[in-house]
This record gives sequence, structure tokens and C-alpha cells, in this order.
Amino acid sequence: MSTRFWESDWFGPFVITLAAIIVVGTLNPSFLSPFNIQVLLLAISVNALIAFSQMIIIAIGQMNLSVGAIGGLAAISFAGMMQVWGMPWPVAAGVALGIGLLAGLANGVLVAFTGISAFVITLASLSIYKGVNLGITEAQPFYEIPDIVKSLGNDTFIHPLPWLVIPCVLAAIGLWYLLNRLPLGRSILAVGGNEHASELSGISVRLVVIVAHAISGGLAALAGIMLVGRLQLGQPTIGDDWLILSFAAPVIGGAILSGGHVSVGGTLLGVIIVAIFTQVLVLFNIDPFLVQVVLGGLILWAVGVNRWREVRAQRRAGQVQI
Amino acid sequence: MSLKRLITTLVAIGAIPTAALADPSSRIALIPGGPHPYFAAWEQAGADAAKEFNLGEAEYKVPQKWELGLQNQMLESLVTQGYNGFLIFPGDPVGTVAIANELADTGAPVIALAGCLKDPSDAQFCMGTDTGNSAYLGTKELLKELGSGAKIAHFTGFLVDPNTQLRIDAVERAAKEEGAEVIQVIADIDAPEPAEEKINAYLAAHASEVDGIITTAWVPAVVASSALRKIGDKRIKMVGIDHDEVVLQAIKDGFVHGTMLQNPYGQGYIGSYAADKLRTGCTVKADAPFKSNALTDKFIDSGTVFAGIDDVDNYVGSMQAITETLFATFESTYLDC
Repeated sequence: MSTRFWESDWFGPFVITLAAIIVVGTLNPSFLSPFNIQVLLLAISVNALIAFSQMIIIAIGQMNLSVGAIGGLAAISFAGMMQVWGMPWPVAAGVALGIGLLAGLANGVLVAFTGISAFVITLASLSIYKGVNLGITEAQPFYEIPDIVKSLGNDTFIHPLPWLVIPCVLAAIGLWYLLNRLPLGRSILAVGGNEHASELSGISVRLVVIVAHAISGGLAALAGIMLVGRLQLGQPTIGDDWLILSFAAPVIGGAILSGGHVSVGGTLLGVIIVAIFTQVLVLFNIDPFLVQVVLGGLILWAVGVNRWREVRAQRRAGQVQI
Repeated sequence: MSLKRLITTLVAIGAIPTAALADPSSRIALIPGGPHPYFAAWEQAGADAAKEFNLGEAEYKVPQKWELGLQNQMLESLVTQGYNGFLIFPGDPVGTVAIANELADTGAPVIALAGCLKDPSDAQFCMGTDTGNSAYLGTKELLKELGSGAKIAHFTGFLVDPNTQLRIDAVERAAKEEGAEVIQVIADIDAPEPAEEKINAYLAAHASEVDGIITTAWVPAVVASSALRKIGDKRIKMVGIDHDEVVLQAIKDGFVHGTMLQNPYGQGYIGSYAADKLRTGCTVKADAPFKSNALTDKFIDSGTVFAGIDDVDNYVGSMQAITETLFATFESTYLDC
């Protein structure tokens, strides 16, 4: 049965985004200046990949606490390979992406074959990946980033659209196609919806879990690589504060934490809402001690909406059974 | 289980080689609150102090994250490994007091380094930058360039760091004295991603309304330097903090007016020396001329100095000069040996 568009996951976040843009743009016209749009898009491009990285794991009903650690490891690997070994940036980016995929793959294999919960496995791997990061960098940034990487991380290809938007859009389209059109994507959602039923219907749950974690690692690594370009240095602390955003955006976008239901468009809108709120707090000179309160309230609201959706879905299911 | 009981038990069952505890040489641990480039100079400082003062070792150990629990676990682990002197950046000025007292109970001298513990504690003293004074002097340097009536923005660090409020107050005070106005404070941006997002958003909206920027934390200084370079605005004057390469290069290229150097090397070097002295019989003078700050009455200022375009090539020399000045009179001023 087709869903009316106002019942879609993305509709609520879309209305909030639109309203926020109109209200903030009216109160502070510089919000819609080309430079500010560029600043917003730079933040959204990276944050969307972080959120997608968690979203794919939420889709299988699990969570990945090591998203930031994988992104940070890929980031310092990318920067380090260019600085220490003089590696050309596309090769370094490819290897860093590979490191992210491998790190995610390791998470997936451990979760799939040990039966230990993803929470515990990724809690442990967070520590391992962060430890490797600190072991390599000794908490010191890598500074020698090629000019082309700095340019790709900050410049626009059509003003005010930054280059970083391109990998973000490609990743969003790829994920949408995977989850909505490919058997693997449908299997990911099926495993998240009911793992036991999926297994009985012939889906290899282990394979799906491993692939989902590998995709998650790859996306986190891509975010880390992009951040090196944006920040123009390889900071060892990259990824340290990704966790809250990685959950908040998919949840605002309609993902159900127990799995089986995520929305690429909704998650993207969730990222945009968080980015706009973060900017608003700066533009309107909100007391810095209140910023955390406002962001916390936003997350609480999103979780509340999510819970309401779950209850409503359960009630509907109950009505169908009757 | 308390740390003391844990050690006693481990010694009793032979888990710790008693020879390690009986070793007369000093084994000093320098422990920051978490990974941060500010503390990197402690490693070399410890190594230099160990070599020059013939210490057993002075090792720099970094907790994986800025979490009090992780730092406490590391401290407990180090004491069981036989470390017998501790230089600690408190993960929390109150929360770290308990573990500092437990360490002191084992006979190890504890010194709060770069950040203070809240009195009362068993720490011998606190040695660090007088953060309020550094922020005050930095703002004065900025306003010397801008003149009265200037509008400035203040970018600073973690809100959980008690120094942050001291910095905010000091910048306000200096601005008021010079007839300037602090039109915005952006805090909690001592991590690269939020700093990049908020500073760029601020400049996108308000660059034309602000005359100057004062930054009082490492990462905001780096990000603001890059942001000013990116928008190519040399009208806005900025005074940063610390000695990150990005900030120093921005000073050379004219995008940043100057930076307030702190003295992490001197903290680690003199701190290691003092811990060894205190472990081998010296005591802190009863009438030592400690300063007071919001947390403690046993504060030693490790020094701060402004470096503009003329000093930036010799910033290491500037930091060494502060260390030499403090070290020359340290024992006679603060210790009874």
C-alpha cells in the first residue's frame, strides 16, 4: 500500500527544516547569505556521512559505538600517509577508506560469529581503534596536507556548493538505492525487523551483519577523510564527538532503534535540522552554557517522537491481527 | 577497594615485585586529562628532566579519552607498576581530589600540573598558567591594536573546565577597562568539528560587525586562524593562544596579530624536578609565596608571554626563557631541602 507523502518519515523533519529556514532567514538575513549556505553545506556533507554510518547499523537493529573511532583512525591514516610517506592523496584516501572498511568488517565478523552484542563489540573496538590512533599520532596533529586536499575540503565547484557535497550526495543516492531497490538492502531491513524470521526465510543473517558493519566503517572513514580536507589538518581528536549526532540524526529522521526501519531522506533532514539549530545558537548569541541544554532538548524531542511512532506502529499491528 | 588496600593486597600476594617499590630512584608519571596537543611538550620535558636530574624515569602517559574514570584507572595502574611521583592535570578539579589523596597516602608526591585541584587536597601545590591573567593580557594586547570602542568576540574551550569561566571573566574585565565590548562568547569548542562549524557560522553572519577576536583555547585558536585565512580578512585582528603551527604561520602571514604562549615544557620539566626533590626528603616551604586562584591557595604561575610577528620565529626561546627564570629560583623559593 502506498504511503501518503505527509505520512512519510521525511515529512515531519522536512516541515521543521522549511520552517526553521524561513524563521531564521527572516530574523537574520545573513543566514541565507551564500557564504553561510556554503558553511552549512560543509557541515552537513560530513555530518550526513556520520549519520548514514550509524543509520545502516540501526537498520539491522544494532548500534555502532566505534563510528567516531573508525573515522578518526581513517582521518589520521590519510593525513599521516601523505605527510610521512609522501603518498599521493588519491592513493592515501583509497588506503584510508580500506582501513575503514576493514575496521567495520572486523566489527561485523566479531558480532556475527561470537553472538556477542554489537554494543559490547563496538565498545571494545572503539577503544582499540582510538588506541591505535593515539599510538600513531601521540596526540599530535599531522599538518602537511596537500593544497589540493585543502581546496577540495573548503572550495566550491559552483558557488555556494562545496566539493564535499558530491561524495555526500553520491553516498545518499547509493544508500537509498541499496535499501529500496537491491535484495541486499531489503535483507538488511528484514534482519533488523525480525532476525529469526529472516533466517527462516533463507537470508544469511551473518553475511548481512558483516556487510552492514563494513558499509558503516567505509562511510565513517569517508567522513574522516573529508574532515581532514575541511579542517586542513589530521587531528587525532577527529571523531571524538560524533556519537550523539550519529544517533540523533537518524532518529530525528524516523529510524526505529530496534531496527528494520530507516529513512535516508529523513536522516539527511535530521542532519540539516541539527546543523541549523547549531548555527542558530551561534547566530542569536545564545548563552554558551545553554547550548548543550538546547541540543539535549532536541535529541529528547526526537527520541520522544520515535517512541510515539513505535507505539503507534504496534497499535496498528494489533488492530490488523484483530 | 581503596588504592592503598589494593596495593597492600597485591604486594602481599606477590603481584608487584617488591624490588620495584624499594627502588630508590624516582619514577615520575606525567598524566594529562586526555589526548590534547597542549600536553605534548610534557613528554620531552619529562625525558630532559630524567636525564639532567638523574631520575629513574619521568614518563608521559596519555589516557585514551577525556574521562575522569579512564584517568583514575590509569593512575591506579601506574602506582601498581611502581611509579612513585605524579604530575596530574586533573580530569576534574573536585573529582580528582580523591584519587590524588589516595596516591599521596602511598607516599608519592602529587603535583597538579596545568590545572588545579580544588582545596583541600593532598597535592603539594598546583603549577600552571594563570589562565585568567593570560586571557586578560591577551585581550589587552588585542585592544592595544584596536583601540577603545572595539567590538570583540571571544572563542574559548570546554565549559567543564573551570578555567573557562575565569577566561570569560578576564576577557570581560580587560575589555571593560579599555572601553571595548565583548559582543559574543562561543564556548565548548575545544574539538575541531564543532569549532570549525561554529566559528565559520559566526564569521559568515557577523564578520562585518566584529573588529577583533580573542581565543583562549588551543583548538579554537587553530580553527579561527584558518577561518580568517580562508575569508582573507586582515581587518579583523586576532590574538590566539599557544604555539600550534597553524597559528604561528597565520601570525607570519599577517592573518593573526599574535599569540599568548603558555609554558607546558616548563611545567613538565620543573614539575618532574620538584616531584623528585619532594620524594627524596625536601618539603614545601611553609611560607612559600604561593598565589591564589579560584581553586587553590597553593598556585605557582608557570608563566605566559605574548608573541607577535617579531617574536614568532623564536617562540621556543621565549618559552625556554620563562622556564629558566622560574627554575633559577624554584628550590630556594618553594622548597626546604
